[in-house]
Amino acid sequence: MAEFKFAPPYELPEYPFTPPPELRGEAPQRYPIVIVGAGPAGLTLACDLAQRGVRCVLIDDDHTVGVRGASSRGICYAQKSLEIMDRLGIGERIVNKGVAWSFGRTFSGDEEVYSFNLQNQSVSRQPPFVNLQQFYIEWFLVDRIQTLGLTDLRWHSRVSDVQPQADHVVLQVQTPQGSYRMEAEYLIDATGANSPIRQQIGLETHSSRSTDRWCITDVRFKKPLPVERWTWVDAPFNNGRAVWQHLMADNVWRMDYQMSEDMDPEVISRPEVAGERIRAQLGDDVEFEFVWIGPYQYRDHLLDDFRHGRVFFIGDSAHVVSPFGARGGNTGIQDAFNLGWKLVLVTTGQAPDSLLDSYSIERQPAAAENLRVTSRSARFLAPRSPAELVLRSAVLKLARRHAFARPLVNTGRMSVANDYPASPWLPQGSRTVQNLTLLDATGQSQSLMDLLRAGTCFVGLWFSPPLGEAQRACSALAALPIDLYAIGHSEALPVKQDPEGVLARHLGLDPAACAGTLCLIRPDAYLAATIPACTAAHLQQTLQTALFANATP
Amino acid sequence: MNTNPAIPDPDGFYAALVAAHEGLSEAQSAQLNAALVFLLANQCGQQQVLLDCVAEARRTVLDGEA
Repeated sequence: MAEFKFAPPYELPEYPFTPPPELRGEAPQRYPIVIVGAGPAGLTLACDLAQRGVRCVLIDDDHTVGVRGASSRGICYAQKSLEIMDRLGIGERIVNKGVAWSFGRTFSGDEEVYSFNLQNQSVSRQPPFVNLQQFYIEWFLVDRIQTLGLTDLRWHSRVSDVQPQADHVVLQVQTPQGSYRMEAEYLIDATGANSPIRQQIGLETHSSRSTDRWCITDVRFKKPLPVERWTWVDAPFNNGRAVWQHLMADNVWRMDYQMSEDMDPEVISRPEVAGERIRAQLGDDVEFEFVWIGPYQYRDHLLDDFRHGRVFFIGDSAHVVSPFGARGGNTGIQDAFNLGWKLVLVTTGQAPDSLLDSYSIERQPAAAENLRVTSRSARFLAPRSPAELVLRSAVLKLARRHAFARPLVNTGRMSVANDYPASPWLPQGSRTVQNLTLLDATGQSQSLMDLLRAGTCFVGLWFSPPLGEAQRACSALAALPIDLYAIGHSEALPVKQDPEGVLARHLGLDPAACAGTLCLIRPDAYLAATIPACTAAHLQQTLQTALFANATP
Repeated sequence: MNTNPAIPDPDGFYAALVAAHEGLSEAQSAQLNAALVFLLANQCGQQQVLLDCVAEARRTVLDGEA
C-alpha cells in the first residue's frame, strides 16, 4: 500500500491564563465593553476598539488561535476585510504572508466555461482577495492587540451564564482557577456558530443543514499550478462532482471535493482515499504531503435581529452560510468594523445608544443577502431533482458555446462589501468606499484608510468647496467627530488631489461637474451621504442624521 | 409579459419546434427544452418579464391538473 506523508502540525502561539482582578479578591466590576470569542470577528472588534483608543475585555475559552482540530477553516479574505486589516495595522503582514489573487476560472468537464477578474472593478490599494489560513489572521490580530495594549485578553475563560439586564449584562466566567462574576454595559457575542450565549438567551436562528457532503484536502506538492481560483462544476477526476483548487500561504493548496451524499466521512477522510483523489486530479506521479483532511457538511442560520438589548451578535453567532464565495469570515470581520465605531461614539457620549440599533439594521440585511447568494450557489452545485440537473446541464452545455450562458454558471459569487438599505441614519442608503489613493499638494499619497486610521471620525471629502462655506463648516463642526478635506483647491481645508477623477467617479460623481459636492464617509468607510452644492448647515444636518437619526442630539 | 399574439408565423414556429424534437430520447428532449428556455430568455433580457413568464408557466401546469 502507498505511504502517505503528513506535514508536521503548525506550531501556533499559546497564551497564558492570567488571573483577572476578580480572582485576586477584587469586587466584581462593570466593564463598558466585553467581547466573548477570539475568532476573526471578536479579534477584529477588539483590535478596532484599541486602534480607536478604547479598552475592552476579550474572553476566549481556548488559549491559542485557529479552530481546534482544523488546520484552517476560512482561507479567502476579501478586499473590504483587507482594507479593514490595513487600517488596523496588519495589512502588510497579511499581504506578505498570504497569496493575492483576483482571477477565477470555472470548468465543466475539461472545458473552461466561466471566468472573472475582480481587479477590473478595483480602485483600492488592497488586492481583491488574499488567501491566508484563518489562524494567521487571528495570530496577527492578537499580536497587534497586544502591541496596542488596551485590551484585557482573558484566555482559558469560558462564559457559562449570561443574565441580560435593562442597562447591562451579568456574566459568569469559568477559569482554571475558579469562576467569577462580571458585568458588561455592552456584551458582544462572537462565540461562533454554536454560540452558548445565543442558545441561553433562546433566540430563533432559522437554521438548516445541507445533505451535500464535501471533503477538504489541504496538501503541499511541487507541481506548479496557476495562482487562481479554479473550480469544477463536474470534474471528470471526481466522478462528475465539484472540486475547488486554491493556493494559500506556506505553499499549501486547498483542494475541496464534493462527495456523494451517502459517503461515510470517516472513509473519505482516510489518507489512502484522500490520496487517490489527489492523484486522480494531479497525476499518479505527483509527490505531496497532507496538511489537513477535513470532511464537512455545510449549514446555515440567520438571526432576525443582531441586537438583543445590551447583547450584540457578530460573525457566526449571528449568521452562518455555506462556504461558496467566502461570505462567512469576511462578513464577520465586516460586522465587527460596522459595530466598532458605533460602540466608541456611544460609550464616549458622542452619539446616543440608538446608533447601535443601526448595526443590526445594516448588517442583518447584509447577512440575509449573503445567505440568499450562497444558497443559490449551493443549489447550482447540488441539484435537488432530475429537472434541476437538466437545467444545469443545459446551462453548462450552452456556456461552452455561448458567452451569454457563462454568467449563469454559479460556483460561488465572491464576497463583497454589501450595500446598506436606506434607513433613518442613511436616508440615501449606503455602499462601501474603496481604499483609494489620494494625493496631497506635494504629491505625497495617502489612502482613505490613512485618513480614517486614528480615532473615530467621519471624513468629509468636499470637491472644490466655496471658501465661505468651508470656513463656516470648520467652526460649526469643530466639536463633532468629522475631518474635512477639500478635493482640488481650498484656503480653508487640508487639500487632496484627484487628478484623474478616479475618486469622483468611484463616488458616483462626474469629475467635470462635481464642484461644491461633499461626500460624507463614515468611520467604517461607507458613504453616509452625497450632498450636492453643500453648505455648512446642510453638512451639519447630514452628520447629525448619520449619528442621531431622528433622535434629538 | 406580453400574452397577446406576437409570433409572426405561429404554425411555422410550432412545426420547427416539433421537428427539433424528432428522433430525440425523452432525456434529450428535456435537454433541448431547457437549452431553448435559456436561449429565449437571453433574447428577452427583461428580468421582470422573465419572472412573470416563469410564474405563468408554473400556473399553467398546475392549473391544468386541477
